[in-house]
Amino acid sequence: MQDAILAMLAKEPSHGYDLGLRLRRALGPLGGSMNAGQVYVTLARLEKAGLVVHERSAGSPDRPDRKVYALTDAGHERVTAWLAEVNRPKPDLVEFHLKLAAASASRLADPVELVDVQRRELLRRLAEAQRAVLAEPEGSTGGLLLEGVALRLEADLRWLEACERVWSRRAEA
Amino acid sequence: MNVLQVRDLTKRHGHKHGLVRAVDGVDLDVPAGQLLAVTGPSGCGKSTLLHLLGGLERPTSGQVWLAGQRVDTAGERALARLRRRSVGFVFQSFHLVEELTAAENVELPVLLAGGSPRAARRRAGQLLDQVGLAHRARRQPWRLSGGERQRVAVARALANEPLVVLADEPTGNLDTAATNEVLRLFADLRAMGQTVVLVTHDARVAATADRLISMRDGVFVDDAWLGGPAGRLGDLFAMGD
Amino acid sequence: MVRLVLGDLRRHPGPAALLVLSTLVATAVLSLGMSLPGATERLYLQTRAATAGPDVVVVAPGRSRAADAALRSLEDVPGVAARSRTYRTFFTEITTGGGAVRAAVLGADAEPGPIDRPLVTSGAWVRPGGVVVERGFAGALRLRVGDRVTVGGRSFPVVGVAVTAARMVYPWATMGGPDGGPSDRSGLVWLHERDTRALAGADVPAASLVYLRLRDPGATAAFRAVYHESHDPAVRLNAFTWPFIAHQGAVYLRDGQPILIVGGWLLSFMAVAGLSTLAAGRAAGQARRAGLLKVVGATPGLIAVVLLTEYLALALLADAAGLALTRLVAPLVVNPSGSLLTADAGPSGPIAAMTTVVAVGVAILTALAPAVRALRTDAVTTLAPAVGRPDHLVLLSRLAGLLPVPLLLGLRLVARRPGRALLHAGSAATTAVGLTVLLMVDAQPDQGWDFGGVTVADLMDDRSRLLLLGVTGAMAALAVVNTLTTTWTTVRESQATMAVARTLGATPGQVTAGLATAQLLPALPGALAGIPLGLFAQWFFGHQNTPQPVTPWVWLVPPALLLATAALAAVPARFAVRRPVAETLRAEAA
Repeated sequence: MQDAILAMLAKEPSHGYDLGLRLRRALGPLGGSMNAGQVYVTLARLEKAGLVVHERSAGSPDRPDRKVYALTDAGHERVTAWLAEVNRPKPDLVEFHLKLAAASASRLADPVELVDVQRRELLRRLAEAQRAVLAEPEGSTGGLLLEGVALRLEADLRWLEACERVWSRRAEA
Repeated sequence: MNVLQVRDLTKRHGHKHGLVRAVDGVDLDVPAGQLLAVTGPSGCGKSTLLHLLGGLERPTSGQVWLAGQRVDTAGERALARLRRRSVGFVFQSFHLVEELTAAENVELPVLLAGGSPRAARRRAGQLLDQVGLAHRARRQPWRLSGGERQRVAVARALANEPLVVLADEPTGNLDTAATNEVLRLFADLRAMGQTVVLVTHDARVAATADRLISMRDGVFVDDAWLGGPAGRLGDLFAMGD
Repeated sequence: MVRLVLGDLRRHPGPAALLVLSTLVATAVLSLGMSLPGATERLYLQTRAATAGPDVVVVAPGRSRAADAALRSLEDVPGVAARSRTYRTFFTEITTGGGAVRAAVLGADAEPGPIDRPLVTSGAWVRPGGVVVERGFAGALRLRVGDRVTVGGRSFPVVGVAVTAARMVYPWATMGGPDGGPSDRSGLVWLHERDTRALAGADVPAASLVYLRLRDPGATAAFRAVYHESHDPAVRLNAFTWPFIAHQGAVYLRDGQPILIVGGWLLSFMAVAGLSTLAAGRAAGQARRAGLLKVVGATPGLIAVVLLTEYLALALLADAAGLALTRLVAPLVVNPSGSLLTADAGPSGPIAAMTTVVAVGVAILTALAPAVRALRTDAVTTLAPAVGRPDHLVLLSRLAGLLPVPLLLGLRLVARRPGRALLHAGSAATTAVGLTVLLMVDAQPDQGWDFGGVTVADLMDDRSRLLLLGVTGAMAALAVVNTLTTTWTTVRESQATMAVARTLGATPGQVTAGLATAQLLPALPGALAGIPLGLFAQWFFGHQNTPQPVTPWVWLVPPALLLATAALAAVPARFAVRRPVAETLRAEAA
């Protein structure tokens, strides 16, 4: 959550309310379960950590909230590191999804490339798991556990394929 | 030494709605002993690439060398000779000769290559033993399970000790257990130093290779080395947050 | 539904054409064979109606007053309605460009009487100084209006050609002759009464005759039973009733009929053999089509109708064409002498019905099994590519291991479809039978008919030979079609196998050889079995009682058949080999 909000601020300074809106849009139907207060709590934490600052803007009559948040240098660094980081051992779906959305919005990284990097990592792991599976005799309990690992990796890889399809189409559009 | 060399290989299929580029200007080197997997969604051109490598189809342009010999320009007879001696095919739907028994299927390439019936029988016995099907030698293909049929097909592909085994979705028609049987066989081949090019859309099958090429719309989009150091299984069990 | 049928026909014109061709040939020969019994009698009836033919012709040897009186007295025989005047027939030689020929010369009126009014088919009727030649005789001597013939030392122009129902067909015009006994072959010419006087003066052997009309034309037997009582027993009268005259024409077809009937059934067998192979080859596709129709909700009844309609429509079309062909050919076959009118010589209604039944039977036989199979199979399994369940013939397997690769493949293809191999062998045997009979008959000396001065072609024997040649030709044509069909079907069924063999490094030549071997193996025993069967058939249906020596040519039949089979089989096989391997494999996997 923290990283996602930071990445969104990387594009431009925003109101907390706008941030919440954008997060919800990126999450789609899942965003409905997000508490609006969560954004403010997270922003406060980030501010305490010195990653964001806020300044008051000239409020308009329909906007009671006047705090506009922006990244500090430290915040920028943290965002870049987060985007470059390969999620291991497997991506948290929501986090990876937000990362792709944020990368696309902030133009700090190419989402398709992020997917590629992630995919290679997963493939490498799948290769290991698969070799371990094949090393086990058919029907052993150890093999069963490895089979589960391999199946989950396979599922993640499929999802990454879907991510790649959607984001590469976006990039072309 | 490269067993296979491919330069600027292109294959267009004539189509009602213009030409489809199944393979579009691909370069590839496959060193001896490598287990190479080519993966990608269906229709990406991976099967066509395999057919071009084995001389089952002729490219629109570009060159293919198999062990230093041009494949793309060879005549029908030269191709037949090449397939006998240097290439072994394994297909998704097995393509065993239904009229022949398992052993006879394995004998066939030896006979075609001019081997004596006795040599053929000996070789077939040895190979069926290697794939664990010595007890099924006298059966006809329709009396074998899918996994057994594919193992016979692998044995047949190996009959003339080919330079390269070309496998097209070898597990496409198999369930998990049979897939693993066949994949173990491929792992054995790899351990023996057999060069294999494997085409598959199944990530788990592809992951058993040393090297993984991803294809999209007739071009290579990724070429990854998977044969990393083993023994990091610990990582696998750390689940996400 | 009609669109479904038409669509399928458009997509597969080849099989449809084969179906039509095979059925056509079989029904044509069969209907021709079945038309023969009674065919000449029918022609005779037509001729009789057209020429006011007599019910009885009574002949007295010589031309004495007693004979004339005896003939005149016949009008008192009960049942006789009318009598013609007494005519004279002179038995002499006529000389044409080709030489002297025995003939019966009838002294005719310029205006024929009410009984027997010969029908002039070209030129005009007799006039003083002009001769008219009976059509069969004219055909054999190649005489035309305007030619000249010498009768009794005097040269006459041929002024006409005519047919009559009052004489037996050429060459049996003598009808009792001058002595009333068995007679030599001869032809009939008409001269004007006045022109025959020279012959009468020269004391040429002669006979007198009258034509009688009975009150009931069917009562000829009654007439025969009583006519002897009415006249002078010293005069030997000889009565030829019209059924007797009619019957003589059928002698011509005595040999032809078994040829056509047996040939027709053999051809039907070959048609069924070829067509069922064809249908089997298409069965997989048909089953698939039925499956597709089922998936979109067609009822089993509709599917059966669609599948059967196609075959039935084609079979009926072929049947109609075959009958039309018979109509065209029949006059030539049933009237070899040309002595009868041939206005209507086509197959009769019952025969048409019979061949239609046969054609429909062929269609149903060939289409039913695939249709039923298509209906009984689950929709889903038919959509999956067919997986063959080959027969396991252990002996063949063991044998195959020792053979070169093409033979091995060929043997296995045969073992996979023993039924088809049997049909193919039968087809080869049938052709061998036909060829053997043809060769044996051809080896017999063609003696011809002795007409005194010249020898005229033996029309009976010629006719049989021609029919035999025709039937054997049809057999050979069907054998060609069958070989192509069988190879085509085998090629289709073994496409995957052969493509696989090629991925294993088999050369196109080896694959072609394998496919050709699959055709040759059943053809070999078939061709060999055909020879003794053919010899037997020739002996059984032939009219010589002693078996003839076997001509050495017969031994060329099997190698010739095998060579032809190999050459024919190589055509579709070659064609199949040209298709790229990858394409075949893709199509199989799809």
